[in-house]
Amino acid sequence: MEQLILAAGECDPSADIICRPENVVDLFQFSEPLFTIGPLGFTRTVILIFLVMFVVLALLFFGLRRKSVIPSKFGVAIESLVVFVRDEIAVGIIGPEGAKYFPWLLSIFLFILIGNAFEVLPLVNFPVTSRMAIPLGLSLLTWVIFVFVGFKKNGFSYFTGLAWPKSVPLALRPLVGLIEVVSTFILRPITLAVRLFANLVAGHLMLTLLLVSGYVFMSSVTSIGARALIGIPWFVFGLGIYMFEVVVIILQAYIFTLLSAVYVQTSVHPEH
Amino acid sequence: MEEIKGAIALVGYGLAAIGPGIGIGLVVAAAISAMARQPEAAGMVRTTMFLGIAFTEALALIGFVLFFIA
Repeated sequence: MEQLILAAGECDPSADIICRPENVVDLFQFSEPLFTIGPLGFTRTVILIFLVMFVVLALLFFGLRRKSVIPSKFGVAIESLVVFVRDEIAVGIIGPEGAKYFPWLLSIFLFILIGNAFEVLPLVNFPVTSRMAIPLGLSLLTWVIFVFVGFKKNGFSYFTGLAWPKSVPLALRPLVGLIEVVSTFILRPITLAVRLFANLVAGHLMLTLLLVSGYVFMSSVTSIGARALIGIPWFVFGLGIYMFEVVVIILQAYIFTLLSAVYVQTSVHPEH
Repeated sequence: MEEIKGAIALVGYGLAAIGPGIGIGLVVAAAISAMARQPEAAGMVRTTMFLGIAFTEALALIGFVLFFIA
């Protein structure tokens, strides 16, 4: 257990009670790959991504494999989840032609949901989406899709409709146009990725700090005596944050998918 | 110097969290009064409320992440 605290650099356990890295950013440095296949290195994150993929495929395969008219209880759960994404998010937001985007929305919803859920799973405790590459990749996919759909449906007037809005008084048009263009093409993918990343990193960091520090305080009863009891409120607070994280996980997956659908909807039906 | 940088980063995050706190309060307050006035529209209002919360919370979270980077 002491090895977990020696995050970076040398540490002498007999000199300090706790060793800590120079800066918290050191906890997020580049980690060595566990094994390499040719030029591709497989770190812990990559192995977990593949695990997430297998879990999602297993959920959908075993849940939707209907053998009779009355599905099993697990089938009902998976089916209601899939129908929820289709009716509330794909068709509800985008409109009748939203069913085209439904496979993509279901894929990112389930991937983010299971990837986040690894944070509260007892043996794994590492959210896959807390490495910036994954939210960034997913939000770049959203960006490519909504820009492509915007240009395909509206031609070049998609861009001119944003940059030179007709429904704004003439004096304000350059300013509002600039704000609209920057907000649509630059800020939307960045904030979509950073929202998911920051929520997950914050949760993972708080869980790690609270639970590990509570455990370390309580387990060092032999060296610091009765003062080890200060570990107990930290640990209990950590358990409270654990329950809060379960809500955050589901909410963040839902919000990412909802916002992707809303961006596609504003490309398909530009209001201005 | 490191302690001063860390302390200023903490103060910066605290200031950055004021705006989104008030903003999310306003969004949810409007959603609650809308749902009370017209309960049939509760589904659509709830969806729009989540959208508003996501947009305003993003700014607070950017502040939280920047606290750790600096």
